[in-house]
Amino acid sequence: MVNSDDFKSKIVSLISQDYEIKFLGKNFDKIVGFLSETKAEKIYVWINDVVNEQFQPILIASKKPYKDWEVKQLLTFRYPFSINNTEYRILLVKIKNSVYIEFHLGDHKYYDKVRKELYLKK
Amino acid sequence: MIIYNPNNEEILKERIEQAEHILSQIPVKHCFITGSFLYKRKYNDIDVFVISRSKKKIKVNIEKVKITVLDFNDLYSLFYHSISKSCVSKDFLPKRTLKVTISDYWDIINEAVPTLLNQKNKFHKDVRYLILYTEFFKGGKILDTFQLDEKIKKFVNYKEILRYVENNIPKIINKKIKKSYLKRFFYTQSGFYKDMRNYKAQNFLYDLTHQITRAVANG
Repeated sequence: MVNSDDFKSKIVSLISQDYEIKFLGKNFDKIVGFLSETKAEKIYVWINDVVNEQFQPILIASKKPYKDWEVKQLLTFRYPFSINNTEYRILLVKIKNSVYIEFHLGDHKYYDKVRKELYLKK
Repeated sequence: MIIYNPNNEEILKERIEQAEHILSQIPVKHCFITGSFLYKRKYNDIDVFVISRSKKKIKVNIEKVKITVLDFNDLYSLFYHSISKSCVSKDFLPKRTLKVTISDYWDIINEAVPTLLNQKNKFHKDVRYLILYTEFFKGGKILDTFQLDEKIKKFVNYKEILRYVENNIPKIINKKIKKSYLKRFFYTQSGFYKDMRNYKAQNFLYDLTHQITRAVANG
């Protein structure tokens, strides 16, 4: 079982930036609590790959707004995993050539909602 | 119960009975089962689709049943036309005209390429839309779930899929849309990828947009 605060701290340290990334998601702490140490470790390895540009982002060429930005300014990195047959998704959102702004964690329903907001799903 | 099987594929007899039993427990008129459960002895999920306006969650206490609720707007999609083509359904399924555009197709490609490069050879689940759309635009054929599985199985590795993309997509797009629109659309797309070429996916997509526009220039 992984502690949510430790999980967030580890991610903040891996990303290593001055801007404060937002951790978002329905039942975020609860889902992190379901993670085994091995699964959490895999997520840290994935973050490392993202930071080192070894993981491929999705870039949507749209001028539509997403909060304070235009969608085309954002890169989205997606990490799917499952725990006890329930599928979860992480979406890590970065501003092109700049900082990471959001770390979303949720079930499929939450993922679909965020995907729509980011115009990854029409 | 209605069995849609236009390609005369071999549906397992006992699964038809099981499908009927599962569908009878769903309190919605338009629902159906498709996918490997109908054709394969070994399957991961029982894919049940329900067409409903209601947001109410539907639960069935049968192991491996995965219910996806479709909105009536989804009935125009290539996805719906594919999954409902060969299936076992509770009642006659509603039909709508297919509405699919090159812009939808490019959205699929735009998402499929990075996903494929991340997943590498664990691609089977993630390329379904890419193959479905490509085969549709290539020859006008809507593959059902069985045909789509068969097609995907033929790819030995992810590199072969990338080659399939490079070999087919520029030709398909050049055939399907007006040159003036094509130039405008793909020059814009290419501009978005240009400064992200440090990523393999965007580099691949950038090259692909160039292959598409080059084909226009070459007449």
